[in-house]
Amino acid sequence: MMNKLRELLLAGNRQELERLRRLPGDPALWSEKVTPLIDERLEFLKNNFPVEFRISVENIIEQKLEASRDELLDIIYPTLGQMIKKYIQHQIQLLKESLEEQLRNTFQCGIAGRLRYALSGVKPKEMSDSILSKMDGPVIEEIFVIEQHSGILLGSASRHDTIDLDMIASMLTAIKSFVEDAFQRGDEKLEGVQYGTFSILIENFYTYYIAVAVSGSFSSNERMALSDSLAQFAQTDLKVNLKKRDGTSNYLIRQKLEHRFFNPQMAILHGEQNKNPTQ
Amino acid sequence: MISKKIVLTGCFGVGKTSLFNQFLFQRFSEKYLTTIGVKVDKKVIEVNGHKLSMLVWDIAGEVEQEKVPQSYYLGASAIIYVFDLTRPSTWLHMHSDIDYLNRLLKGVLINIVGNKSDLVSPEQLEYMKAGVPLSPNILTSAKTGENVEALFQSIGSALLLQNL
Repeated sequence: MMNKLRELLLAGNRQELERLRRLPGDPALWSEKVTPLIDERLEFLKNNFPVEFRISVENIIEQKLEASRDELLDIIYPTLGQMIKKYIQHQIQLLKESLEEQLRNTFQCGIAGRLRYALSGVKPKEMSDSILSKMDGPVIEEIFVIEQHSGILLGSASRHDTIDLDMIASMLTAIKSFVEDAFQRGDEKLEGVQYGTFSILIENFYTYYIAVAVSGSFSSNERMALSDSLAQFAQTDLKVNLKKRDGTSNYLIRQKLEHRFFNPQMAILHGEQNKNPTQ
Repeated sequence: MISKKIVLTGCFGVGKTSLFNQFLFQRFSEKYLTTIGVKVDKKVIEVNGHKLSMLVWDIAGEVEQEKVPQSYYLGASAIIYVFDLTRPSTWLHMHSDIDYLNRLLKGVLINIVGNKSDLVSPEQLEYMKAGVPLSPNILTSAKTGENVEALFQSIGSALLLQNL
């Protein structure tokens, strides 16, 4: 009777004991019990990750950054430097244009303005150029006279040694041809290429074009002055020399280019006054 | 020194860039990298004591030459029209292509070049000769270098003769 009663009372416990005995060897049972706990913990971590691990993550990042400081600077420095340089050049250009505009207004508006202009005898453009002459202005670095289409170099002048001049002329022509064909804008021609603070200005003539590599920023007035000067050069100096097209024409064109564009006394762009040609 | 523009053209995959690299740098790669736009390089050759600067324009291949931007051809003194000896589809438009180039560049020197000669057997060569619309000026192999130098030398001689 007592045994019967004990069996009845402990039946539930025995079943539980048996289930617990089987637990270590039964993955399905483990999974049933543990998975909800893991899921719950994962959900908690997902929601509270920044709070729980912020300090640890910050420490790891700090250590990593400290350890790779040189590599990081190597990556960032050139881009940053270039951005700053470009920004400064842009600001100088804006300043220059606004200064020119302001001086023009001051000296040309009203009776008082005209009187000031008459007394000083200095034109606004000259004055702004004089104020900005100490600043980093545009400098003609290289000039190429290139045959249209074929890309054959007819003559060039450069301030410094450069890579193969024939190659520059050909590649520039290839780029020009590509752009003019790709965008199919009728008879429109590529008039310039710009990268960073360096520009290649292109002045198109019928059988040839002149490409001028200029460093530094320049205003639209300076662009026009250069354009006029190139047209004048084409009219007076190139006309004769291009007709010859023999071994000496390249040399003659170079001399003319150097005289016209690299001679400080013939400065077209204000930055030219501070530079001397090396050739 | 006299400079001349020479254009390498033809269908894609015929080996224009391989000829270009073999002539300029004496190297060949099995890898096929399609040319985008145009690639220009220069080599100075000497013919009978006269120096000639060859500016070679390697332009992206097109099935038909009318699809190539015209400005790439303009100003060229010589055209090297390349086809693949192993692929009849590369000489399918040869006649119309050459007609087009002659119309576009009057009097220009055109060389028709059958490339990949290292891959063809004598029987295939016979088959090619029977099917190709215009007979090639020269057969080359950019891989082995066969006739590559000879091709450019013959063009150089012809161009110098025109100039003398």
